[in-house]
Amino acid sequence: MSRVGLIAVGAWVALMAGCAWIAWHANYTADLSAFLPRTPTPSQKLLAEQLRQGVVSRLILVGIEGAPPQALAALSQALAARLARDAEFAYAANGSQEQLAADGEFLMRHRYLLSPGVTPEHFSVAGLREALDGDLADLGSALGALTSRLLPSDPTGEFMRVVELLEPEAGPQRQNGVWFNSAGTRALLLLQTRAAGFDIDAQERALARIRSVFDAVAAQQSALEARLSATGPGVFAVGVRAQIKHDVSRISLLAVVLVSVMLLAVYRSPRALLMTLLPAASGAVAGVAAVAVAFGSVHGVTLGFGATLLGEGVDYAIYLFTNTAPGNGLRRSLARIWPTLLLGVLTSVVGFSVLLLSQFAGLAQLGLFSIVGLIVAYVVTRFVLPELIPDHFGVRPPAALGAAFAWLARGARWLRIPLLLAVVLSVAWLASRGHALWDDRLESLSPVAESDKRLDETLRRDLGAPDVRYLAVAAADTEQGALEAAERVGAVLERVRRAEAIRGFESPAHILPSDATQRARQAAIPEPDALRDNLEQAAQGLPFQPRLFEPFLKDAAAARQQPLISANDMAGTALALRLESLLSERDGAWTAMLPLRAVREPSAAARELSGLAGVHLLDLKAEADALYRGYRDQALHLALIGAAAIALLLFAALRSARRAAEVLLPLAAAVVVTCALLSLGGHQLTVFNLVGLLLVVGVGSNYTLFFEREIFPRSDPQRTLISLASCNASTVIGFGLLSLAHANVLRAIGSTVALGAFLSLMFGAILAASRPVRG
Amino acid sequence: MIELGQVQHATARFVERRYLKVLKSPVELSGTLSYDAPDRLVRRTLEPRPETLTVDGERVVIEAQGRVRTLRLEDYPVAWAFVESFRATLKGDMAALERFYRLALEGGPQRWQLSLTPRDPKMSALIESVLIDGRKGRINKIEIREAQGDRSVMTVVEDAQ
Repeated sequence: MSRVGLIAVGAWVALMAGCAWIAWHANYTADLSAFLPRTPTPSQKLLAEQLRQGVVSRLILVGIEGAPPQALAALSQALAARLARDAEFAYAANGSQEQLAADGEFLMRHRYLLSPGVTPEHFSVAGLREALDGDLADLGSALGALTSRLLPSDPTGEFMRVVELLEPEAGPQRQNGVWFNSAGTRALLLLQTRAAGFDIDAQERALARIRSVFDAVAAQQSALEARLSATGPGVFAVGVRAQIKHDVSRISLLAVVLVSVMLLAVYRSPRALLMTLLPAASGAVAGVAAVAVAFGSVHGVTLGFGATLLGEGVDYAIYLFTNTAPGNGLRRSLARIWPTLLLGVLTSVVGFSVLLLSQFAGLAQLGLFSIVGLIVAYVVTRFVLPELIPDHFGVRPPAALGAAFAWLARGARWLRIPLLLAVVLSVAWLASRGHALWDDRLESLSPVAESDKRLDETLRRDLGAPDVRYLAVAAADTEQGALEAAERVGAVLERVRRAEAIRGFESPAHILPSDATQRARQAAIPEPDALRDNLEQAAQGLPFQPRLFEPFLKDAAAARQQPLISANDMAGTALALRLESLLSERDGAWTAMLPLRAVREPSAAARELSGLAGVHLLDLKAEADALYRGYRDQALHLALIGAAAIALLLFAALRSARRAAEVLLPLAAAVVVTCALLSLGGHQLTVFNLVGLLLVVGVGSNYTLFFEREIFPRSDPQRTLISLASCNASTVIGFGLLSLAHANVLRAIGSTVALGAFLSLMFGAILAASRPVRG
Repeated sequence: MIELGQVQHATARFVERRYLKVLKSPVELSGTLSYDAPDRLVRRTLEPRPETLTVDGERVVIEAQGRVRTLRLEDYPVAWAFVESFRATLKGDMAALERFYRLALEGGPQRWQLSLTPRDPKMSALIESVLIDGRKGRINKIEIREAQGDRSVMTVVEDAQ
């Protein structure tokens, strides 16, 4: 080995060791937020935050079924009790009265500062008389028992007013003291993790905790037939990551085996096979490491994509080996083909580098991964392989194979007319589909399996968990500013509600009124003696026991002087969580969120709110879909720019527009026909199909370059055909297997590239066969 | 009691007196009751303030003062005691009654008294006992004694069937 060779191999070993270490320690994610813009608008930022770490992202919905209701209820109680004390969870609710007691106690203690009913008129003689008359009627009502219990301390009904404000709709039904679905077959729990939804490791720990505690509890109660199901954004992320891991490892293994078998049949040399896999593997490891370093984490989708880099990464070595007969000189072959390979690598790199410009971290990751992976695979083929193999090494593919390909290639030109027809029909079909060609929903990016989505919908419906679409958002510099803004927004929304444009809304100010409001309510309560006088006058002629309302007089007097409520006062209650989900602080900026319920006329709500400065109405679904459309449009633009850059590169390298066109035409035809076939198969295209097409252009350009340059016909045309067919077969195998993956993302890329690469080779052969051989 | 289970539909008028600790004199309510086998019970209060309470299965709908509220029986033990003692008795569903109460039956078919004592300690903290007086397949009087000393007596005058 020469000194240069030693340096090359040494550098390669060191680089691989370093990259492998980085890749091993990298943080792998699977959440959708990687597909959110890097420089978002305020609404997009809010959306991204909600998706990444908002309270909604930390919810885990749990269902327990498969046992009699009493057993399920007992399991629910034991599970909730143990998880509530667990460090992984901020909150574990199952609807039991014990849990609500803490909330109720807080509301009761602070009723005079929380109730919007507390106004000066409320405690006048007339106001009190009205309240007492109401109480008397209530005592005769179905809920009279509740009234009579609360009557001595709360004759004006502030507690119930606050409760109704916070819980305007019935939650899930209770059975045996805990939440159940309406059929009574599934006990329900609502958990919240301490860790953010995007922290998949923590989410995985939390999920494992739920399962182990459940198993322990079920064993303890001998209810082993009971089953637990869990869902929620974090659970999805954990599942998707595991799924992609599983897919990627299984498919990569299968692809390596099948490609190896195929190459062994062609090479008839295990050593050549090993040397072929080396550059691809090096490229994949380096690609992951580069993404980990540049982005801080690697998205599961990038990884899935990476496994298939094998498809293009092995090509360089295949070209090298299939074109080298034993004793012919490996280095001579390399010297002959490397300019074409380099051009092939450059076209791919140019194509993918436009992805680096993408606003979306997910796409940029794919771009960086592919670029680094391909360059490393190429460099290893060019500089490291020759050092590891003796120069006289070569392979002898079966002669019959070459003859068969030559026969096929000669016949290919008869397919020109069918090819033209296929392209024309495809263009017509695509044009007729128009917008329906694309899937416009952000969810189409979501790699979550359909069955998991259905489970989630079921549990969410059972629990009545928030499925928020419209949010009124108010920004301010301080907590008090945000609460005051929420109160102003609340006053407007109350008007909107009365006009029946919405059914209701939540507000952080319902749980924590601003200091100003709390002070106003304190001021509305008369001095103790005045209140006593008013009450005595109001109760005249009514059958209430004398001195019945002493507790009320005492509480009202205390409320006038109590310290104002702060967020800390509700620590440990479910209310703290709700407040946290509605009022958030980030970098000194406060945001109050008021989710609207059952919105009938979004435009009416938006119109009313437009008068308030710093407040806007956010439609999360529309925002998400617009985001995705922007994402796709950008990917489309970038793909077009990439295609143009590739055309320019080929034109510059080949110094002929005609020759550049000969390389590009088959690729364009392959892209068009691939899109049409996918669409005909009932598939709406997503941004992942688009990325797949970019890869088709990258891989396909290698084929058509070889056809165009026809370097080998003079020496051995059959070897050229064998190398192209082998490259193509390895790509089709790798991506074809990917199209069998569970994750829709991997399926989309797999089917697109397998189909597109195959068509590129076919169309390249058809058009090349029609040209006279260049001398 | 077997005769009770055969009731498919019944309507009645009622007068209820509630003796409450907080009041010097009882509140008096009156209205109508209607029952449809097996699970539907409607109690319409006409005086002093109109209110309709509909129990269908586990769900309770209360309509009063232009507001409709849907509740779960479980959350309101006293309402539940009333509903279940009435409904299960009419249904002749001893199993449902046994689930919530210890039962004691006195008298004969002509004139019987069923007394119910809650089994669940949480419920017995609210309700001491429920006494139901009846004649053959009819209920004449339901008395609910609450643990805190409040008491309500409902007299039922059934319409001819």
